[in-house]
Amino acid sequence: MSDLVAWDKTISDVNEGILVGLKKPHPSFYVALSISVLCLIIGAICWAIEITYGMGTTGLNNPVYWGVLITDFVFWVGIGHAGTLISAILFLFRAKWRNSINRSAEAMTVFAVITAGLFPLIHVGRVWVAAYWMLPLPNTNNVWVNFRSPLMWDVFAISTYLTVSLLFWYMGLVPDLASMRDRVTGYKRIVFNFMSFGWTGSLRQWHHYEAGYGFLAALATPLVLSVHSIVSWDFAMSMQPGWHTTIFPPYFVAGAILSGCAMVYTLVLPLRWMFRLEGFIRKEHLDCLLKLTLLTSTIVAYAYGIEFFVAWYSGNEYEWAIFQKRAVGPYAFYFWVMVACNCIFPMAFWSRRLRANTAVCFIVCLLVNVGMWFERYNIIVSSLVEDFLPSAWGHYEPTWIEMGITLGSFGWFFTWLLIFCRFFPLVSMSELKLIMPKPLRKKSEGH
Amino acid sequence: MGTPTTDELEKLEKQTLVDAPHEDFERSAETFVPGPYYAAAEEVMAELEAGVPTHVAGAKANPKGLDFSVDRRDFMRLFTVATAASAAACIRRPVEKAVPYVNQPIDQVPGVPTFYSSTCGSCAAGCGILVKTKEGRPVKIEGNPEHPVNQGALCGLGQAEIQGLYHPERLKTPMQRHGRRLDPVQWEDVYSILGEAVKKTSKIGIFTGGSTGHRHEFFLEVLEKVGAPKTALYTWEANSIWSDIAQAHEIAFGKAVIPRMEIKHADLLVGIGTDFLEIGVSPVAAAKSLSAFRTHHNGKTGRFVQFETNLSMTGANADKRHVIAPGSELQVALLLVRSLYEHPKVKVSGIAHTMAQSLLRTHQSELDRAYATLQIPKTEFDALATEMIQSESLMLVGGSSMFSEEATKLQLVGILGNLLLGAYEKFLFIDRGWMKSPVVPGDLERFVAEAPQLDILFVIDSDPAFTTPASWGVTGILEKIPTVVSIQSFPNDVDLVSKFALPGHHTLESWGDEEPVEGFWSMRQPVIRPTTDSRQAEDILLWILATSEKNLPYADYHAFLYKKWEAVQQFSGNLTVVYDMFFKAVLRRGFIGKLTVQTLFAQLKDFSTHLKTLRPLSTGLQLIAPLDHRFHDGRGAHLPVLQETGDAITTVTWDTWAAINPNTMTKMGLKRNQVVELSTAAGKLKVPVYPLPGLHPDVIVCPRGNGHTDARSTISNNAGLNPLGLFAKAQDPLSKEPVTALVPVKVAATTEWFRLAALQKHHDIANRKDIIKKVDLPSLKVAKKKNLDHVPDMFPKLEEGEYRWGMAIDLDKCTGCGACVAACSIENNVPQVGRDQVILGREMTWIRIDRYFYGDVNAPEVSFQPVNCQHCHHAPCEAVCPVFATTHDPEGLNAMTYNRCIGTRYCANACPYKVRRFNWWTHKWGEMGKRAQDRNPRAMNPDVTVRTRGVMEKCSLCVGRLRDAKHEAKETGRKVPDGAVQTACQQTCPSNAIVFGDLHDAQSRVSRARQDPRAYLLLGGDPENGHYGLKTLPGVSYLSEILRYGLHQPEHEQPHKE
Repeated sequence: MSDLVAWDKTISDVNEGILVGLKKPHPSFYVALSISVLCLIIGAICWAIEITYGMGTTGLNNPVYWGVLITDFVFWVGIGHAGTLISAILFLFRAKWRNSINRSAEAMTVFAVITAGLFPLIHVGRVWVAAYWMLPLPNTNNVWVNFRSPLMWDVFAISTYLTVSLLFWYMGLVPDLASMRDRVTGYKRIVFNFMSFGWTGSLRQWHHYEAGYGFLAALATPLVLSVHSIVSWDFAMSMQPGWHTTIFPPYFVAGAILSGCAMVYTLVLPLRWMFRLEGFIRKEHLDCLLKLTLLTSTIVAYAYGIEFFVAWYSGNEYEWAIFQKRAVGPYAFYFWVMVACNCIFPMAFWSRRLRANTAVCFIVCLLVNVGMWFERYNIIVSSLVEDFLPSAWGHYEPTWIEMGITLGSFGWFFTWLLIFCRFFPLVSMSELKLIMPKPLRKKSEGH
Repeated sequence: MGTPTTDELEKLEKQTLVDAPHEDFERSAETFVPGPYYAAAEEVMAELEAGVPTHVAGAKANPKGLDFSVDRRDFMRLFTVATAASAAACIRRPVEKAVPYVNQPIDQVPGVPTFYSSTCGSCAAGCGILVKTKEGRPVKIEGNPEHPVNQGALCGLGQAEIQGLYHPERLKTPMQRHGRRLDPVQWEDVYSILGEAVKKTSKIGIFTGGSTGHRHEFFLEVLEKVGAPKTALYTWEANSIWSDIAQAHEIAFGKAVIPRMEIKHADLLVGIGTDFLEIGVSPVAAAKSLSAFRTHHNGKTGRFVQFETNLSMTGANADKRHVIAPGSELQVALLLVRSLYEHPKVKVSGIAHTMAQSLLRTHQSELDRAYATLQIPKTEFDALATEMIQSESLMLVGGSSMFSEEATKLQLVGILGNLLLGAYEKFLFIDRGWMKSPVVPGDLERFVAEAPQLDILFVIDSDPAFTTPASWGVTGILEKIPTVVSIQSFPNDVDLVSKFALPGHHTLESWGDEEPVEGFWSMRQPVIRPTTDSRQAEDILLWILATSEKNLPYADYHAFLYKKWEAVQQFSGNLTVVYDMFFKAVLRRGFIGKLTVQTLFAQLKDFSTHLKTLRPLSTGLQLIAPLDHRFHDGRGAHLPVLQETGDAITTVTWDTWAAINPNTMTKMGLKRNQVVELSTAAGKLKVPVYPLPGLHPDVIVCPRGNGHTDARSTISNNAGLNPLGLFAKAQDPLSKEPVTALVPVKVAATTEWFRLAALQKHHDIANRKDIIKKVDLPSLKVAKKKNLDHVPDMFPKLEEGEYRWGMAIDLDKCTGCGACVAACSIENNVPQVGRDQVILGREMTWIRIDRYFYGDVNAPEVSFQPVNCQHCHHAPCEAVCPVFATTHDPEGLNAMTYNRCIGTRYCANACPYKVRRFNWWTHKWGEMGKRAQDRNPRAMNPDVTVRTRGVMEKCSLCVGRLRDAKHEAKETGRKVPDGAVQTACQQTCPSNAIVFGDLHDAQSRVSRARQDPRAYLLLGGDPENGHYGLKTLPGVSYLSEILRYGLHQPEHEQPHKE
């Protein structure tokens, strides 16, 4: 892959070129950070209102007990997927193009999973006891948690995923932290030295490092598939028509990768510009990312189709009724937005010319993200509104509290991400060096 | 309710499937021993007061050894005291004490409820009630199972009165009007001012509601004492059916009686515009009777055919329903009479024969034409007549959708029809235990004419200012009377124009009696010390009389009753006991009675002259304003539990709607929730429309009862609209009752919209087969017993306890009245959430009544289905809860641990029946209920936990009652016998549709119902053909509806969706 990349920089430019952005970022960084913090504050206020007055402040009702908040949860878990896919699975497959974007993808993963982890707390009725009772703590009543409940599986799946992702991400950071240590003095040096565990870059260290990194990659790989499968079981394990289907785990994983890839693109493009990394994250790398997006988009499109087929073929009238209503019922708008954004717009990526047009790609990736949010909303809400007993059918409209919390979750995510970008290299310097061309000896600089 | 006695057990054993015991008025009065459960308030009081004489009969015992010799100092003392006493007040209030539990009283164990028997005062039907009190506070009203009228059941209104008792908006003190303001005043001042006023004039009147007891007699005594004529007592009920039937019988037989209905003895019931299940004359008794009538036993079951123009709850329960043009009820009745009369097998002679002959001859040409205009061929009537003749049948006619100029005429034709059928003294009794009319027909008209001359008018527990059509000018009349004294147990519109607004006792605080059936006396006793500074209305009158020195010889109303009941003892023949013991025994039991006999039937007169003219059928839209089956004329509008129960047919809560046939709406270009302006000769009203299938295309139904705009209550304030302003002053010429139905109306669309708070948003069953099942009689005959629990699955076997509690709900019997919803909400402290939350779908009721329409929009089939938690054996909700807040109990209950719940709401998503309810808010229950909608902690059932915000809740199968029953069984060392524990919904169901018990016991009624050929499980697929549906294996089973006339509706046109 690296052979196809038209590099205009060499490995000797890496440290300087990447770390220069950290000294004085583009002013737009501060604008972005302010907007993120503002959104975060709005979200925090909305959550405070929700806790103070009750879940009644949301638009949830009987029968739609889950809505935007769970949509957000699944959305962020999905976003948190691509990072590990890119860094771990592609690492094992030796797809070299990943080396330029894996750091940003991993950072996105960690912060997205942290964001997703908030939502179970936000959406429960009694958050003040939730954190306590969801954990398997010994107590005098001898009441354990219910290991049969998919929500319990979620707790373990997501916490495991977060732990492994964090480790993987941090491990990749260690050589870079050491490089940064070498460029600073004073207390910063002590801090970076501590953070890099005294990394010296000796051959022995590299030997162990590579082994450990490969091992962690292998460990993280099944988690990529398990987390979203387990999240999909939140739905598939209940009897709700529209949820109760075996196709959900692969369907959710494909969707998550689609949304993750699109999100990486959406994030990397502005960050590349903000931190002047155009020389290191090349259009050829992004092109690979778009191809992966295209692939997962077709898988998702197939899943949408097969879902309808299974609903019809099962002969289950409740299941089939839900799918008919999804396509032509009161929530058809969400369905068609989903189809357009996830299956139709990404088809633009078949064209090499369009893949090279960053503006088009950025918009399409943004739309894929919108589409994936709508997909989850569509699955959750349209299945709940009209299920078995027609007398219990209802309606759902989110309130500004829920939308505020959704906005706040973006604020929370971007705040962390931007702070990370401000202080740490957004591209893995050590790994980038593996794929970049060696410097041509310059006559004047010979040793 | 306690351990059953051997007798009760025997009775239970004798019961047939799903059938509750049917008490009979024919049973003669027994000499009885007071039972162990019900207590008489005064007896307990007497024991508590230990030596202090009770206020009974004003007996004031002289302390022994009092020295009567007076010396100078004593003289001075006595003189001072006497002067002070006479200056203060001349009457001594009876001592009524409330005793705190500093020392535990005898018979009162904290935590163990005491039941008082009393009589419901919500309408004049006179149902017997048992009031459950915990630590001296009434917490629940239930029907008295011994009482012959309601046999243990009670309607929603009767039960909701518990909220009325503790309602925070009851008047706290007497009020006097100063200009436009009402100011608090002392009772002493009220008595002295009114005493003075009464002294000066004899132009005094009393306006009150219906009663069959001694109450009106007492008022007559008061009027006599003040020198007013007997005619100055005006009794009126907005439910004119009493007057119409009484007046028709007055005309036909010479006495204003109401026949006692015993539908259960008949095979075929034909109704023409009747709504006996909604309100009628005695709705609970009628529902009980109808339930027995519909019981399917060996292929025999009663059939019910209804002709009506609107879709009433009664009509929705008919086996065959004919939709007829508005105002054609009389023609239909006459056509049916004609077919009956022409039937060769009818043997009728005498007056009935000549009447029928002359009537049919007079109207021959009109009737010949009527077949075409009604679009019902003659053959249909003939076939029905043949069916009626061949079976034991009766006709019931008229209801609140027929309060037109012809209401009494329709009753007369009904009498004629029943004469032809020979229904009198078989199913309709006027000679053996007939019902008394609680009102005198025509009193309202008399009042309107005579009242302007009155100086003082007492309006007692009646709201003519709201419940009469505005065109009758009652408010104006009240304004003209110099002194209007409004004595109400709850404030109403009369208070707005009265000089004095006085707080009267609530039913649960007052003494009284009713005689619902001649010879059957039902006692009302106070069950709690007055909760506000209220007085019993009768006592207020007594004190006013005493202040004006026109004393009646009674210390209080209790003393009056005590005197009057001596005659009841004589009559009932319980002469072996001393009177006081008799009285107390009645207090314990609640009622006493003996069948009375008269020979009224023989005095039949020719009433055909009253039927000389028939109103020609008018075309165009006509308006009907029927009474609301939940709060009648509006008397229950301040009770949130009723507002939120939802109308049976439309499921609308908190609002008033104009129901129009969907096809008519399409023609007029109207949409659901669009506001239309109804205009009649009398006025205009803007009201949102509700598309209701099954209405005649030319009828608009706008129920009354809501639309209080005064300060009656913040609950009823601005809830709904009052359609009575649309009726011009017109009356039924015979009964003189105001016309509130069948007036021409114009509908104009507006651009406004108003979202009606309907509980159900979708009304069509979407062709789903395992929700409501129906079976016709031939297939029922060959159907085999069911084994619903035989469902092949791979689940591990559940732990089995000593019992497995289960429930069976008979859809064939359920009438959709909503009494169970009220009972459940009160028993389980279920909050009412208000209109806005209902629109969002956040109602909290643990049991809901689903109503489905099928088939033709113009003549749909209607089904009601109560759905509570199904207590699945393989519950989808239990598996998904991450914290074990909902778990399976070894006794088959799907239990909730509220403390454990964190509110993920996953269980509710997983529940296929959507019966779980989430606490979206903190439902306030502030100190004493500061807002009307707040729940008053005193009205709470202390046996049931109050749930906090953020937790899930649902039906528990009244687990508190189960626990009590098991405790009692444990003490006696045996298992809980079948029938000893009843859930709240089952206990109150007026149609015995709900059975509850132990499924392990193969002989229990619920087990037998589960094996019934009609049994099925909700969403349980089609087990006969190997489809087991969701395999949730609910503990609640359903009994399918019986199609007595086969499937008569082709399944083509689907009713609309929202």
